[in-house]
Amino acid sequence: MVNYIKNLKSLIFFEEPEKIEEFILKESNDEGKAEIKEAQKDSDRTPELKKRDRSIIKKPMSAASGNDSGEEQGENKEKDSNNKHQPSAVKPRENISTSVEENLRYMKDIFTVPDNGDIVIREFEITFKGKPVKAFIILIDGMTDRTVINSNILHPLMILSDKDFKTGEDDIGEFVKSRLLPHNQMKVTEKYQEVIDEINFGGCGLFVDGSKVAFAADVKGWLARGIERPNTELVLRGPQEGFNEILRANTALVRKILKDEDLIVENAKVGKRSKTPCSILYIKDIANESLVEEVKRRVNSIKLDYIIDSGHLEQLLEDDPYMLAPQIIATERPDRVAAALTDGKIAIIMHGSPFALVLPTTNNDLIHAAEDSYIRFPYANLLRCVRILGVFMSLLLPGLYVAITNYHQEMIPTDLLLAIVSAREKVPFPTVVEILIMEVAFELIREAGIRIPGPIGPTLGIIGALILGQAAVAANIVSPILIIIVAVTGIGSFAIPNFSLAYAFRILRFAYILLGASAGFLGITTGLFLQGVWLTAAKSFGVPFMAPFAPKTSGGFSDEFLRPPFWKQETRPDYVNPRDTRKQPKISRVWTQNNSEGDANE
Amino acid sequence: MNNKVTFGRWETITVLLNSMGIPILLGFPRGMVELGGTAGWLICIYITVLALALFYIISRLYKPFEGMDPLDLGERIAGNAGRIIVGLIFFTHSTFIVSMILREFGEDMKVIALTVSPISFVQLFFITGMIVGAYKGIEAVVRMHSVVVVLISAGVLILVIFVMPFFKFGNIYPILGNGPEKIFGTGFFRVSSFSALIIIYMVFPFIKSHEQFRTAGFWGIGLTGFFMTLVTLTFIGVLPYPISLEQFLPVYQLSRIINVGRFFERIESVFMLLWASAALLYLSFAFIIILRIFQKAFKLPYYRPLILPFAVILFTLSLLPPNVMTALNLEAIFFRSYAWLTTFLFMIILLITARFVSKKEKGRIKT
Repeated sequence: MVNYIKNLKSLIFFEEPEKIEEFILKESNDEGKAEIKEAQKDSDRTPELKKRDRSIIKKPMSAASGNDSGEEQGENKEKDSNNKHQPSAVKPRENISTSVEENLRYMKDIFTVPDNGDIVIREFEITFKGKPVKAFIILIDGMTDRTVINSNILHPLMILSDKDFKTGEDDIGEFVKSRLLPHNQMKVTEKYQEVIDEINFGGCGLFVDGSKVAFAADVKGWLARGIERPNTELVLRGPQEGFNEILRANTALVRKILKDEDLIVENAKVGKRSKTPCSILYIKDIANESLVEEVKRRVNSIKLDYIIDSGHLEQLLEDDPYMLAPQIIATERPDRVAAALTDGKIAIIMHGSPFALVLPTTNNDLIHAAEDSYIRFPYANLLRCVRILGVFMSLLLPGLYVAITNYHQEMIPTDLLLAIVSAREKVPFPTVVEILIMEVAFELIREAGIRIPGPIGPTLGIIGALILGQAAVAANIVSPILIIIVAVTGIGSFAIPNFSLAYAFRILRFAYILLGASAGFLGITTGLFLQGVWLTAAKSFGVPFMAPFAPKTSGGFSDEFLRPPFWKQETRPDYVNPRDTRKQPKISRVWTQNNSEGDANE
Repeated sequence: MNNKVTFGRWETITVLLNSMGIPILLGFPRGMVELGGTAGWLICIYITVLALALFYIISRLYKPFEGMDPLDLGERIAGNAGRIIVGLIFFTHSTFIVSMILREFGEDMKVIALTVSPISFVQLFFITGMIVGAYKGIEAVVRMHSVVVVLISAGVLILVIFVMPFFKFGNIYPILGNGPEKIFGTGFFRVSSFSALIIIYMVFPFIKSHEQFRTAGFWGIGLTGFFMTLVTLTFIGVLPYPISLEQFLPVYQLSRIINVGRFFERIESVFMLLWASAALLYLSFAFIIILRIFQKAFKLPYYRPLILPFAVILFTLSLLPPNVMTALNLEAIFFRSYAWLTTFLFMIILLITARFVSKKEKGRIKT
């Protein structure tokens, strides 16, 4: 509420704007060169060129070594024991101690053992140079795979260490790493925090007495939903796989589709406490480098404690939080993400969310469905036209009805006018009240249908709509034509492929009803103008939201509004300034040329 | 002005087309008939050619001053005083036109559909559009032009096509109407109908090059002239001369005639959407130009604080005429006689003086 008052104030009183440099998506250095490069096919590319391209990939950074003194650790011992069960009071320590008891005490403090019931600590001994050495593993029950821990960690450490190794290392850490642990994903670190982070994320920490390093094995094994059909973006034609809540499964789904070594999956963590892993996906020789940098900058600069879903991330990344239309697409379809990546866009996948974020987004993207590119182009164009009609109906139909019946009655043909008037004869309310009653009732039915569990939801929708509508007409509260208007509006809103956009239109619909009621078509036009200016001024990651129409970029109408035949989709969207603008050569169906040559020869 | 924002050629053309074509939706066709009788459409062609010729001279004179608006030219000639004087001239010119057009559109909407609403209420919708447009910035409004003006132009063409069955060639005779003296003599002053051309001077800092300025100007004038001629010719051809003199809103009257089968008998209200869009686009853009002229004339760092006060001033000015006929007369007199002085004559004098001053400065530097 305070924010709204503040915004209202800012409309009336001038405040000097802060000097913030707005992100502008500049043209890629490589843009335009792609045309020239096209002649050089991949096979022709020199090894130097390929090497240069690959050098862009970020290498994982090695952990910086710390040098905490033993004295300091000794001091911590006392303090730690005093601060037991007060995790916030545990003084964070950096480097792992060589004493296994000390490490055990510290880990217990950090994880508040024994108060924390799902923390498992298993102490045991391993044999090193014929002597028993104390060790322990620490993990979170339910997040790890027990079989893997038993067979790949405990079994070799406890049983195999007793074997007589002919060539042995002097350092116990090195011995454990190179001789005893057959597990494939094993992190060796000198830092407590790295082990703790791994344990929090389904890893298993291993501490060995006398070793200045600890081991963190990736043994994630929590129960997760399998790969299922996407719930919100169903298609008749095309892949039927949807993302689930596991980050790596999701990135693998995208990789499986693209099969391109230039696809980069960069890791990032969001949340000071939750440290939720995210992956930023882009194709390195297609995506604009400044766009990639901007996305990374925004993701890495987010400061908050916990983040649960990509819905949170979306709200933290978008350019204009007060704009009703979404500025980032959330999709649960890997194929849609893959298609966006091939266009030079960027995707963010977050652990724990089955929705990937695709950016930048334009207004046009929001009315495209995944199916559009899988079916033949005339069908896709028909569907797009139907969808646009749905958008207009969802947004404007009730407002137009109010405007026409109140101010522009002459537009209605006489017979229809008579029918409407006779139907409204017994209705005591003005049209605007009538339509508001029905719209509110419709919104209630819709919301209740979603919240009610299981099979009752759809039943409530049908019963609510049928009985309520019929009863309202019978009670002369609303006219029958209004039921048709509200029903058609509802159907129109269901035709919008992006549910965030459908929400926006549901809100705006009420505004248009009020505008239509106050000034007829003038009110509606003013609303459209205001909405248009707002959308035209908006940007999504430096890309004008109304591109490719305002501003006009090449191929706007033919490639974006309608869909050309698949073989004619030769270029990537100009507004994302990709490094390589061409998707396919001028003639992608080479067989047509061969045939024609053959025919000519004949 | 803020040079960060740049307009493309298409965007500039659509802005010019809408700004100069606005009178077509108001009383322009009737004005042509009043002056030239059945030869009103010839006056349109004549003034278009005149405007093209005058713009050609201006664009030639403008060549050394790429990216400069009239206020920059004023500053070059006479420093701060020159900039302020030029700014005030253009500010007064634009404020007068915008307030009158605001009133006219309000009155038109009132006559067409909102008969019982007070004029101040009707104008509030336009004022809201102007304020929001100004807050969102010139870039957003210009980009809106590039999409919406196409739809408005298509709407005008559809209107013309639908009234074609009522077109009678007999109505356009005698071809020379009230005579050559009226067409080519008094008709000259009607070149003022292109007075919105000052917009292209004001947005020159946003246009990438002189070449683009020239092309956009010629296309803008050409397309506006085409629509002026087309609508006036249709108006004259569809409504007989004595009746056409009586029409308050020529284009609205034309749209009322449309009759497509039994189901679409009265679709003139649909065109209201297009007219209101054209009005909102024009008013919001012209309002931004007014604010920017004032900002630049007095070297203010921001124009946003001016939005609300200036909106109130324009709103009040537009309500000053006691009735619609006074407003129409004021606008008509201005357009008939004086607007060309600022748009063409003053601009030519300004450019010649600026060239003279520049040459003098160059000579001084050489010596």
